[in-house]
Amino acid sequence: MQGVLGAFHELDTTCHAIEDLKKARLGDVTVYSPTIRHEIDEAIDAPNSVVRRFTLIGGLLGVSFGYWISIWTGDYWPLVTGGKAIASWIPYTIIGFEVMVLVGCLSTVAGMFINARIPRLTTTVGYDPRFSGGHFGIFVSCSADKASQVEALLQKHGAEEVRREA
Amino acid sequence: MGTIAQPVDGLRRPNIASADVQIPAVTSYEQVDREIISTLGFTKKWLLGLGVAILAMLVGASAWIYQIYWGLGQAGYEPPVMWGVYIITFVFWVGIGHAGTLISAILYLFRAGFRTSIYRAAEAMTVFAVMTAGLFPIIHIGRPWKFFWLIPYPNWRLLWPNFKSPLVWDVFAISTYLTISTTFLYIGLIPDFAVLRDRETNPMRKRIYGILSMGWRNSDREWRHFAKAYLFLAAFSTPLVLSVHSVVSFDFAMALTPGWHASIFPPYFVAGAIFSGFAMVWTIAIPMRKWFKLEHYITLNHLDATAKVVLFTSMVVGCAYLIEFFIAWYSGVRPEQEFFWNRVFGQWWWAAWIMLLCNMALPMSLWSQKLRRNPTWLWFLSIFINIGMWYERFVIVVPSLSHEFEPWQWGGYTPSWIDMSFLVGSFGWFFMWFLLFVKQMPVMAIMELKEIVVPKRKHAHDGGHH
Repeated sequence: MQGVLGAFHELDTTCHAIEDLKKARLGDVTVYSPTIRHEIDEAIDAPNSVVRRFTLIGGLLGVSFGYWISIWTGDYWPLVTGGKAIASWIPYTIIGFEVMVLVGCLSTVAGMFINARIPRLTTTVGYDPRFSGGHFGIFVSCSADKASQVEALLQKHGAEEVRREA
Repeated sequence: MGTIAQPVDGLRRPNIASADVQIPAVTSYEQVDREIISTLGFTKKWLLGLGVAILAMLVGASAWIYQIYWGLGQAGYEPPVMWGVYIITFVFWVGIGHAGTLISAILYLFRAGFRTSIYRAAEAMTVFAVMTAGLFPIIHIGRPWKFFWLIPYPNWRLLWPNFKSPLVWDVFAISTYLTISTTFLYIGLIPDFAVLRDRETNPMRKRIYGILSMGWRNSDREWRHFAKAYLFLAAFSTPLVLSVHSVVSFDFAMALTPGWHASIFPPYFVAGAIFSGFAMVWTIAIPMRKWFKLEHYITLNHLDATAKVVLFTSMVVGCAYLIEFFIAWYSGVRPEQEFFWNRVFGQWWWAAWIMLLCNMALPMSLWSQKLRRNPTWLWFLSIFINIGMWYERFVIVVPSLSHEFEPWQWGGYTPSWIDMSFLVGSFGWFFMWFLLFVKQMPVMAIMELKEIVVPKRKHAHDGGHH
């Protein structure tokens, strides 16, 4: 993947560059920041994460399994305790709840991994170790003919360093 | 650079709201990286501490080998008291394990500012405390290699565990809690591992941090899904925190034994767990902030905010103690009344009064703001609370079993050296893991600290928008 990478030290200039790059439509923009900043989220204006669907599906599967295993094993080996029903929903709710939390959380993590595309073997093209420190970064994936336009735009907004990546 | 946050100007006696707790002496992202990473170097003091912890752990391990060889009879159990130090210590460590997820999940949802500096250490404490707690039911089985019988799995005996039993609920609750706490800790650590990967110069450590960070790049896509996943993990962990100690309390409350069969047990246990967990956070965090020179990260405002939580939970726990006495009197049930009289003025008076002194009386000192902002006092108080909360579980377990319905059943209990070795060993095991943790991984969440540091801007007051 080829493109242009710009490193910034200020948050506001990063946000301005993102907004102008989006308007200019020069290529896909990836933004790197040392931490979560709502200013960057607003500048990117990306769609909402779909991780919540994984959470919902995992939670529903978990609670169903928790109730099912309790009821099925109770029926499989009926053991009347204290004159109570074989399938007692109150104690089984504890099992249902715990398995819901377990599967719901693990599927949330799976959803995050799948959507964030991790684990990855390398940090790949367009990353600089400074982006986990104190710098913000913008990588624009574009063809060689648009690269000079991207470089000019990043430099206009005060990028500390601009370089081509391939 | 100041070492502590100053109180809010204009107030003679400031009362800091938790959401206002900030770290004014930390001014840049680079400073956060530098100061937190500097805590990772090995020191002689750390090696000495680790050595003591391993030694204590070996005391417990030797006792376990001895007990496996000679049998469970070596522990101090004697009818009618067949639960003792093992179950007391189990409940104690589960309780300690509550503060971590409370701080990281519940306080995250409530946007409590004071959590940022302490939650990583508290989360790690949770994982190691639950790992410690989980050993005790296995030790108590006597034949630890049979513990897997509690797990539901298809087997040739066609047997399944009884899902109506509180002990099986416990297995589900504790194993879910351990899994989720570990996952929560690890997910939060991924961006920090990326920081360590990018700053590390030793190739071997760089490679290990590279694997642990899973190729994390701090991209907008990663942060977007990370933030959502973290929010949902916190939302799931919140009821889990409340459920786990409720389920542990069911081990007692489901029985008809005097002193146990009470509907107040779940909230009483949960409040006690938060109380003891925060005390253990002090036990760890107060020396840590001094030794690692992190007093400008864990400021007096942070300690003040945590002290208010301790004061509140102490009052909840104290209220529960008094309600227990009131209900015993008000019920008119003779064995309950006899039992509670015996608890405070009879056979076990000394244990009950240690509990009342440490958990009800001493924390009232926290009404004083001066003491809430005095780290030395908070550390000593945390030790008293830890002792008091261990004795609370002693008072719940032993007096009830030793003083049931029939006078001919009444008895006593004296822990053997095996029991006490396990208690010492559990502290060794816990601190061994914690000390190993603090030198391999950041004790504070670098990523979240950066969130509250004001980022560099070219134009002041520009949020980045046209």
